[in-house]
Amino acid sequence: MTTKPRQCVAIEPDLIAAATGEAAPAARERVDAHVAGCTACRDDFARYRAVDAVVGTLRADPAPPGDAEAARRRLIARLADLKTRLVSYRVFSSPLGPILLAASEHGVALVEYLRGGLSGSRLFAMAGIDPQEDGGELERLHDELLEYLAGRRTRLEWPLDLRFARSDFERAVLQATSAVPYGAVSSYTGIAGDLGKPSAVRAVAQALRHNPVPIVIPCHRIVGVGGDLVGYAGDRIALKERLLAVEGVPTRRDHSGVCRGSMYHYDPNPDRQYCLPTCGTILERPIGRVKLFARRELAEAIGLEPCADCRPDLHPLSV
Amino acid sequence: MGEAVQLDDPAFEAVVATHHGEIYRYLRRLAYRGPEADDLSQETFLRAYRARHRLTPNANIRAWLFTIATNVFRNHVRSERRRRVAHASLQVTRRELDLDGPEAEALAGEVRTLTEAAIRRLPLKQRLAFTLRKLHELDYELIGQSLDCSAESARAHVFQALRKIRTTLNGHALPPTESTR
Repeated sequence: MTTKPRQCVAIEPDLIAAATGEAAPAARERVDAHVAGCTACRDDFARYRAVDAVVGTLRADPAPPGDAEAARRRLIARLADLKTRLVSYRVFSSPLGPILLAASEHGVALVEYLRGGLSGSRLFAMAGIDPQEDGGELERLHDELLEYLAGRRTRLEWPLDLRFARSDFERAVLQATSAVPYGAVSSYTGIAGDLGKPSAVRAVAQALRHNPVPIVIPCHRIVGVGGDLVGYAGDRIALKERLLAVEGVPTRRDHSGVCRGSMYHYDPNPDRQYCLPTCGTILERPIGRVKLFARRELAEAIGLEPCADCRPDLHPLSV
Repeated sequence: MGEAVQLDDPAFEAVVATHHGEIYRYLRRLAYRGPEADDLSQETFLRAYRARHRLTPNANIRAWLFTIATNVFRNHVRSERRRRVAHASLQVTRRELDLDGPEAEALAGEVRTLTEAAIRRLPLKQRLAFTLRKLHELDYELIGQSLDCSAESARAHVFQALRKIRTTLNGHALPPTESTR
């Protein structure tokens, strides 16, 4: 290997840059000045230019015609498949403890109280789901959820994706439950009746136990036929009581159930009239058939009228 | 989040429509076989789709996709190496010369094939930097970002690559270029 003169070594980077169209004007001038008096570098320069020209021919499409288009079509198909499986999630803190929110392209799929950490989430137990931690969209949902829990919002109007429900029956139960308004209470028996399956009380309870979107679908508003706070998210009755309290639903001192005596009652009747708990024998009729309301306005918000006999409008329950 | 924009599905479809061809060509140059490039470009866009929420409003989407594609390819090379398959130097000799034209182009074809072989033998970073710069004309700043190095070292990789290619072509007649002033 011959040793190059020092100035030739020094100019080499500029020379390569100039020959391959990358040099700044100043460098280009330096190279021009040098090669004017240096034959070896002039040859070098020409050689690099020729190499650059060969490289230029490689810019032609490396694939046979049609390959890219076929690849693009396969990509579109895989993207479509990914979109159906992709569920983004995020764990947020809340007054009820850590809560996981998860949503697909169709809507919110999970609202989950996390107990044993993320690994216990249903998100990772279900086939055909591609969970991805993410969350721009979920932040907004979390904000709304916090507003709801603080009593500053009465509705969570979120599009839902009920893919975590295990059957059409469960979806029907969730649907019927979502019709129970804010501040109102019904029972498992009531939901079974609403679905035209009065004997399916246990199945209704099971379906609500697996409610993938608690709070949003208000399974906390469903109590035992006598008003008992049976079951919530497994055994977390305290959560149920707390969510009812947010809506103003009074509960017994021993936390065992709702205080029927402090709620307005509605037993479906042609005049759509709601009553005080002291109206006739209404207090003895089962919750479910009778819906309970924490406040008069909540009953009237769904179009009910005060009973002409007991006049809840003239004798409101003291809060 | 604040800064992030959401590329909704139609916007992402537009990204695919605009950039898939080029990213596919890039990976096709890097990969040894067509189906491999197909898989790698799918992987690139699926990753991009998953990460689309992390894009900032004035992000350079083209550069972003090149970065993802580069990472996908580097991971692929690593896992291939682990499987002890696909040795670059072996592959070069086996590669079909599907770009070669008829006899008349034989000389240019031979030089081009030699050049391609030289590019394939380059160390990975040099090869990536060279391909991004010389075949896809990305600027050094972006190449540096893609390769986790400075613009300066990206440039050094490209120049080192040019030196090696030049050495490979020593003794071969090259097609003439217009005069050098």
